[in-house]
Amino acid sequence: MKHPHPNHWRGLEEWEDPTSVREQAETEFIDTPLRIGAEPGRRDFLKATGFLVAASSFTACSRPPEEKALPPVVQLEGDVPGKSYRYATVCGACPSACGIVAKVRDGRPIKLEGNPAHPLTRGGLCATGQASILSLYDSHRVQLPRSAGKESSWDEADSRIAEALSAARQNSGAVRVLSSTLTSPTLLRQIASFVSAFPDGKHVVADPVSASAILDAHERTHGVRRLPHYQLGKAEVVASFDADFLGSWIATTEFTRGYTESRLAEQAPRKAAWHTQVEARYTVSGGKADERIKVAPWEVSATLEHLVAKLASLSGKAFVPGSAAPAADVMAAIDRLAQRLWNARGKSLVLYGANEIAGQQLANFANELLGNYGSTLDLSLPSLQRQGSDRDLAQLLAEVAGGKVAVLFVLGMNPVADLPLSDATRQAFERIPMLVTLAPREDETAAIAKIHCPDSDPFESWGDAEPVAGLVSVQQPLILPLDKSRPALESFAKWAGKPASAYELVQAHWRESIHPRAASAVPFETFWHKALHDGFAEVKSNLPVAGAFATGAVTPLGKQAAATAMLQLYVKPGMLDGALAYNPWLQELPDPVTKATWDNYASISPAKAKELGVKNGDIVRVAVGDTALELPALVQAGQHDALVAVALGYGRKISARFQDFGPKWIDHRATTGANGLVGVNAASLLSMEGNTLSYLRPGVTLATTGKRQALAVTQSHHTLSVPENLDPGGPPRPIVQEVYLSEPETFPAHDPEDVPELWPPDHPYPGHRWGMAIDLDACTGCSACVVACQIENNVPVVGKDEVMRKREMHWIRIDRYYSGDVENPSSAHQPMLCQHCENAPCETVCPVLATVHSSEGLSQQVYNRCIGTRYCANNCPYKVRRFNWFNYPREDKLANLLLNPDVTVRSRGVMEKCSFCIQRIQEAKISAKQEGRELKDGDVVTACQQSCPANAIVFGDMNNPESKVSKWVKNPRRYRVLEEINVRPSVHYLKIVKRSGEKPGEEHHG
Amino acid sequence: MSHRIISLLLGIGIVMSLLLMAGRFGGARVPANQQGYEPVQPIAYSHRLHAGELQIDCQYCHVAASTSRHAGIPSGSICMNCHKQVKATFGVVRQEDEAATAEKRPRRDVMSPELRKLFTDLGLDPSKDLKEQQVTQTVAWTRVHRLPDYVYFDHRAHVNAGVSCQTCHGPVETMERMRQHASLSMGWCVNCHRDATKNGINGKRVNASIDCSVCHY
Repeated sequence: MKHPHPNHWRGLEEWEDPTSVREQAETEFIDTPLRIGAEPGRRDFLKATGFLVAASSFTACSRPPEEKALPPVVQLEGDVPGKSYRYATVCGACPSACGIVAKVRDGRPIKLEGNPAHPLTRGGLCATGQASILSLYDSHRVQLPRSAGKESSWDEADSRIAEALSAARQNSGAVRVLSSTLTSPTLLRQIASFVSAFPDGKHVVADPVSASAILDAHERTHGVRRLPHYQLGKAEVVASFDADFLGSWIATTEFTRGYTESRLAEQAPRKAAWHTQVEARYTVSGGKADERIKVAPWEVSATLEHLVAKLASLSGKAFVPGSAAPAADVMAAIDRLAQRLWNARGKSLVLYGANEIAGQQLANFANELLGNYGSTLDLSLPSLQRQGSDRDLAQLLAEVAGGKVAVLFVLGMNPVADLPLSDATRQAFERIPMLVTLAPREDETAAIAKIHCPDSDPFESWGDAEPVAGLVSVQQPLILPLDKSRPALESFAKWAGKPASAYELVQAHWRESIHPRAASAVPFETFWHKALHDGFAEVKSNLPVAGAFATGAVTPLGKQAAATAMLQLYVKPGMLDGALAYNPWLQELPDPVTKATWDNYASISPAKAKELGVKNGDIVRVAVGDTALELPALVQAGQHDALVAVALGYGRKISARFQDFGPKWIDHRATTGANGLVGVNAASLLSMEGNTLSYLRPGVTLATTGKRQALAVTQSHHTLSVPENLDPGGPPRPIVQEVYLSEPETFPAHDPEDVPELWPPDHPYPGHRWGMAIDLDACTGCSACVVACQIENNVPVVGKDEVMRKREMHWIRIDRYYSGDVENPSSAHQPMLCQHCENAPCETVCPVLATVHSSEGLSQQVYNRCIGTRYCANNCPYKVRRFNWFNYPREDKLANLLLNPDVTVRSRGVMEKCSFCIQRIQEAKISAKQEGRELKDGDVVTACQQSCPANAIVFGDMNNPESKVSKWVKNPRRYRVLEEINVRPSVHYLKIVKRSGEKPGEEHHG
Repeated sequence: MSHRIISLLLGIGIVMSLLLMAGRFGGARVPANQQGYEPVQPIAYSHRLHAGELQIDCQYCHVAASTSRHAGIPSGSICMNCHKQVKATFGVVRQEDEAATAEKRPRRDVMSPELRKLFTDLGLDPSKDLKEQQVTQTVAWTRVHRLPDYVYFDHRAHVNAGVSCQTCHGPVETMERMRQHASLSMGWCVNCHRDATKNGINGKRVNASIDCSVCHY
């Protein structure tokens, strides 16, 4: 082999042939339209010259058009135009109900941020939550009630519903409300009182991504149907069996914060933090784990059972596993894991991801044996973030199929697309005499609904949330409703015959039921205003006490037949269950693991791909029983050979809007697939066996089809490399660096800061000197920062075709590198943004001085000076500059209300890049000046830093020795990427801490 | 042969563009320089009267100049603080008073035609009692000072540093109709920033940075 395998690699291509990837990286910026095909000809040259002459002459000829200036009608006291105000409220993107702070500028909410005071997330906000603000400004939202597909009015809709309800009351017809988990106590009570008015009324809660088995298992082992509140922050040893708690499982933002806090390498005494992940699919958590045990998909529960047996024997109890023992090496790993868990009794956590009651009971038993209940799992103040019951759902589906349901209300769910409905059941849904959906958009269920009563956006209406028992939040409106939608709370009040406004309903419920639970006796008004101001209030729980652990409830698993192949349906971080499939930010967000955008795919292992002879993008036919789907294949390192994984949440009707997405030009390829939608809906492959929604299906077969659908995978884009001639035959550049815990207690300090300089320092930095530090050990790759930056800085979405041309515009990207064993690699996530180099290579090559160094250490990009030569991007060693090839779509006037008025909207032909959120720096500096004080550390918080659930980013003034960033820079783990080329970046990284293994030898020298 | 054609075409192109440019620079003005722009406004509001003669402080109406990026154009409700009472100039009111006394008749309500326009534009009915009515609309003024979208100017930073309004907006107190006094070009801004750093503002030392990112982001 000419070149050795690299230590860290970005994809399997690079593992196999690093040289070709390096060569490709060197020509990355050369593909201009003029070079495709033939050499640039005389005609091209003439065209370009003519265009330039004409354009430069004409642009100089115009006076700006006359513009109107409209002052506000009434100047409200305390409302200053052009100033941003922040209001605490609740995120409505998923049932995690994280606390957020919304930034409202001139009456419009324009940015969501995590609420730093919120006890669960403490400041972070995931990509989905960040992106959910677009929902408010979505011009495709249903404006008015619709009946049978035609626009109607609220009066007509209400009277038709009232008729149906009174008929149901007289004939004892079944009235059902089907919703996903609702965290709003007021809405839950409203629905409960609504359905109780009917002889046969019921509220069925079911989640498309169900955690029903966890609740059911606790009902059997503890006598209460509850989801424990997992406290990752208290857990030193975590054993996760296919629960992707850092990616998409239950409340990832909270889990990520707790996980990184309990693993901080610098805390003294250093904790024995450890994370083992047992899985077949390659997840975010698996890549991050200290030890990843790859097992066949059907062996995950068996491995858990054998762990339970080990723990039982350690605690002197007897438990005989019923399943066959996994392979010897897995058993050895399980032995070690059991010992680790046992040593950390009460400070450990066993998680099980599959929606399968028997396995969940084993996990409960493991946690009980380890004494974790009451410390790392809280059942007395349980999580209310997943309440769905698969049994209730199965019963409802049976009722619908049997034609028993007279009136069905659907809220926060899209059963036609979310559930594996047979044709008969789907037809039965269509036959329901009164099917009402409250979906905000025209989804699959709305298409068959008799009446569509659009729910308001969370930012338009009052509401509340109780994500964890005893923690309540008020959701306050930030803007008057933009259309004639009506909050679900008001709709149910109206249909119950007691119309009231959402504000009255929420306040009444708080007065009656929440305020009496307050810990200290304060008047209601004080309590309410404090909760409104802080964004949350802590109250006492009103739940009965959980029972003692019933050991008898745990039964060994049966012998499982080894399958040959299994299908796993999962949800991607960001896209989740698909309710936000209309959201271009989330569609274009690279998946943290596969780096794929704009599609779902059948993820298969490299060996399986070789066996089938398929490459990325070859369409394969995935069949389980009679159901089959055709999906492009994606080869995923680290995945078990017997597993095929397909993401749910795609192929949604609400993604039909992307059919014409992206700039139109000669070569334009559609963003949507053959079905006119983004991706393929895989919900039909789910199963409802034994009253449980099952995401794992045995007996899957794969077949090639000979067709292709290219995937927009950003894995190989913007590859960092150094030209060979700088270091011929040298070792691969350590772009991601690691330290080993086996090394001495304090990590060896990195090589000294200063390389001798020939020249006197160019930049004295008399005032501030901005810098950033990123802790790679904390970063999980969740990509919240990517979306936060995109919203803050008006970064456009370009569409699938442009992404395939490596033209995605994200100012901050997360490079994912694999390392270790190619069969079972671990992954490192490196957020990569403009490094604001002191000796910036981009600045020296700009012919028009459009990018220059500021006196505070920023590499400034001046859009109005830029003429688009792209020399700077070509010369950037970090590949972080983004070129506007087009005027990206800004046609949607409503969506434009979301643009940040503090950041220029860039036009075609202009280079752009991370500015260190200069608008926030300026704002903080001027505010400090206005208040007559010095700028403090922490006054400037960049958008990426704010959103990071792992607290992995700090930003500040490096001239201030007391600033957080200065302290991080003194950390012995600090290094700078591509340090040896002496561009002296202002972004510092902290090395990854390897908790397992020894530092590898120097065998990689070529 | 083809090379000749190319050279010829190129030559023509260059000559044409030079001619066009020469035409532009006849007025010696940077494109989009609006210095001296003085559009007719929907209501003949006079800064000379309000700021000059009556000496109303600029920030009485432009409320946000010291607290926000935008100084703000006053809302109709601010106009109505005074104009609920004041409906015509003092001279006209006194004339009517004298005429009413001389003719021994009750005093008629006089209203200046420009204020009548204001009341109508604000959605008020001038024939009824103004004190009883709420402002429901706004006046569509024609914008005079406009910076390009890629320039961020913050009033706060300047007002709080002691830069007077007139430094940039000129002798507003003498302007019957609002006029753009300065060129508002980058060179003009940068010169002032250099001067302020060198000489201070009103004897106070300031650091008026000339980094690009102070205005461009």
